[in-house]
Amino acid sequence: MKNLEELKQIREKVRKNLEMRSGDFGVKIIVCLGTCGIAAGARQTMNKLADLVAQSNRSDIVISTTGCAGFCEQEPMIKVQEKGKEPVTYGHVDVAAAEEIFNKHVLKGQIVEKYLFSKGE
Amino acid sequence: MKTIADHLFDILENSVNAKSSKVIVKISFNNNLFCCQIIDNGIPTILENITDPFVTSRKTRKVGLGLPLLKATAESTGGYLNLALSCKGRGTRLEFVVNMKHIDARPFGDLSSVFSDILRSWREVDFELFINKSNEVNGNKILDTAELKKSLGINTLDDNEILDYVKKHVKEELINIGIDNQFGIMLN
Repeated sequence: MKNLEELKQIREKVRKNLEMRSGDFGVKIIVCLGTCGIAAGARQTMNKLADLVAQSNRSDIVISTTGCAGFCEQEPMIKVQEKGKEPVTYGHVDVAAAEEIFNKHVLKGQIVEKYLFSKGE
Repeated sequence: MKTIADHLFDILENSVNAKSSKVIVKISFNNNLFCCQIIDNGIPTILENITDPFVTSRKTRKVGLGLPLLKATAESTGGYLNLALSCKGRGTRLEFVVNMKHIDARPFGDLSSVFSDILRSWREVDFELFINKSNEVNGNKILDTAELKKSLGINTLDDNEILDYVKKHVKEELINIGIDNQFGIMLN
């Protein structure tokens, strides 16, 4: 299944990455990954966000997934939750939108009106 | 769904939502027929008429589209979808077959990304992937996340290094049996 050398190298890199991660989160990004989200391309959105998080070198941004939120026409949807602030939900978040929201909201705290769906729970 | 990969990810989510701790996926591709079996150990809530879109285990609404859409995709190419309780009493066994040569077949999409995505989304569930070449009774085990966690000495595999490794490894094995991103390649 795997060769031992490759695995050992990966293990070292992973150990270093894990050490970087702090216990608490600063920003949580929740991606809707129900059937409607998947059909609308939410997997690509999630992977784009994961790449952006890796590039940002920040250890306090966490991505998690949830099921359908009930607003299927708005998919892909993501919720950005900064610690201590009310969560913000965005709709129609394709790969380009994900990048914009990440750079403006997740990194700098500015809400992106263009994709805004709702504020609060 | 636009691709078989999206369907597969969606259906695996059903297993996770049924509280499976282990999900086994078996894939084969012979004579343009893509056959996939998913065996989980979750607790199914309803099985009768489950491919009816108005029968669902969801509580907040009355429509569940994952299975009906997959069934439609499979049947539109002359294939099928079967779902039954596993013989051990807990868990279900789902099998679907798609004829990739049919004019209405959806493309595979990036099947390997399904396996990195499931590890990213559901950290506590373990998955095994078997790939079956033609004429084999039992497939080769390509991925075993429980074993991988043990070898790496960690609890979750959602690190980007590992996910890239898993994706690359699965992609190589899929190409070996003729599964690409489109409709499959002819092997000698």
